[in-house]
Amino acid sequence: MTCAEAEELITALADGELTGPERELLESHLHECAHCRAIMEEENAVRQKVRSHSALLSAPAPLRRKILADERILPEPMPRWWEYFWLRPGLAGGAFIGLILAIALPTFFALKTPREPLAAAALETYARFARGELSVERTENPKEVVAQLTKAVGGELHPMGYDFSTVDLKPVAGLVREINGRKILIAIYQGPGGTLFCYTFFGSEADAPAEAARFLDSARRMSFYAFSQGKVNAVLHREGQIICILASEMPMDDLLALARSKAQKN
Amino acid sequence: MFREPKTGRSARAMVAEEALKHLDHLYRVAFHLAKDPADTDDLVQETFTRALAGSEQFTSGSNIKAWLTRILYNFFFDDYRRSKRWFSTEHAVETSLEDRQADPNPGPESQALKKELDEQIIAGLRQMPEEFRAAMVLVDIGDLAYDEVAAILSCPIGTVRSRLSRARKLMRQYLSVYIGDKKERAE
Repeated sequence: MTCAEAEELITALADGELTGPERELLESHLHECAHCRAIMEEENAVRQKVRSHSALLSAPAPLRRKILADERILPEPMPRWWEYFWLRPGLAGGAFIGLILAIALPTFFALKTPREPLAAAALETYARFARGELSVERTENPKEVVAQLTKAVGGELHPMGYDFSTVDLKPVAGLVREINGRKILIAIYQGPGGTLFCYTFFGSEADAPAEAARFLDSARRMSFYAFSQGKVNAVLHREGQIICILASEMPMDDLLALARSKAQKN
Repeated sequence: MFREPKTGRSARAMVAEEALKHLDHLYRVAFHLAKDPADTDDLVQETFTRALAGSEQFTSGSNIKAWLTRILYNFFFDDYRRSKRWFSTEHAVETSLEDRQADPNPGPESQALKKELDEQIIAGLRQMPEEFRAAMVLVDIGDLAYDEVAAILSCPIGTVRSRLSRARKLMRQYLSVYIGDKKERAE
């Protein structure tokens, strides 16, 4: 085997795509040829660098939201319930039983196990961080925070990825918490502007605490829910199926303005 | 056909759910084919639109990642590329240099080096002849097997191997300062 012939096979060997006699011939050649062994090393190095370069690249949150909101992509909505019964009257009996169960079961479980507001539970993480009870691995690369969080939930969900540089805050760490069986992505921002947590999870506006004050942005038809826990102020809003909570010790008015400036219209 | 009658969900809904799991993969592949981020978004979004429109053609249990990548590549190769919204070598180099100049404060040395390496990889890919670049993007960025890439590019596996080998050789030259001293070996 010549070195020129070996070079093409080295690529396949590095990718685990070389088998049988070709592999044996190449391995034999590599054993004898220092030049090709050096090429093999470089091949592996290049392969590793290109792959690790791409691993941190992930689809931006606005693109994901755009795809989720694209009616050409997402399946058409089911008919409204009264349309369905109009078309299939035989389902009415089943629906009646379903209605009874829909009322009875939540009532039963509500009485048995009081539901813990997710937003309030999530803010515990901020309190633990403020008390120094929570150690996090810091990074100076904002993309890494997004990539790590996304990877931690298998790509199911992306952190909001807001840019808060206008208030002197940049992302320094990220962590994932599971509360009441739901995964919550937490991006931690810090800087001269203080500390801010940005929570992202699948949910609804019902995840706001009952005592939260509701602010309606009538121009964009969006609701913002403001609430506090100790010194920590928080603002919750919904973007499609995603709930975002910003939590910080900055004044509530400032936090609310910040949330409104970053929120994307549903 | 992609069916799961017990749940009553449509084939379209199930393909949509599965396809969304590969959004990052499609974005990475599109990024290295497209001229700028806005084009990347268009390419990915159109891939989803086409995939969902043809969801009945997808066979449950087969490799959805390769299927989506083929849709993306076909769209890029047949339609989008012809509209000349995709990069030329000259533009890619200019963009890379502009980006570097636009950031006067690269931060710690390691971050600057990482950024520089990322730029070299992007520029290296964009300077390659298209057939070599496609092989490298699909194998190294898309993490696809040779037989999957051969199906996407409609060529024999041996051709994929040959093109990839040429692409890696070019990339070794672009990244020579980051992967050891080539001169030493040559001597």
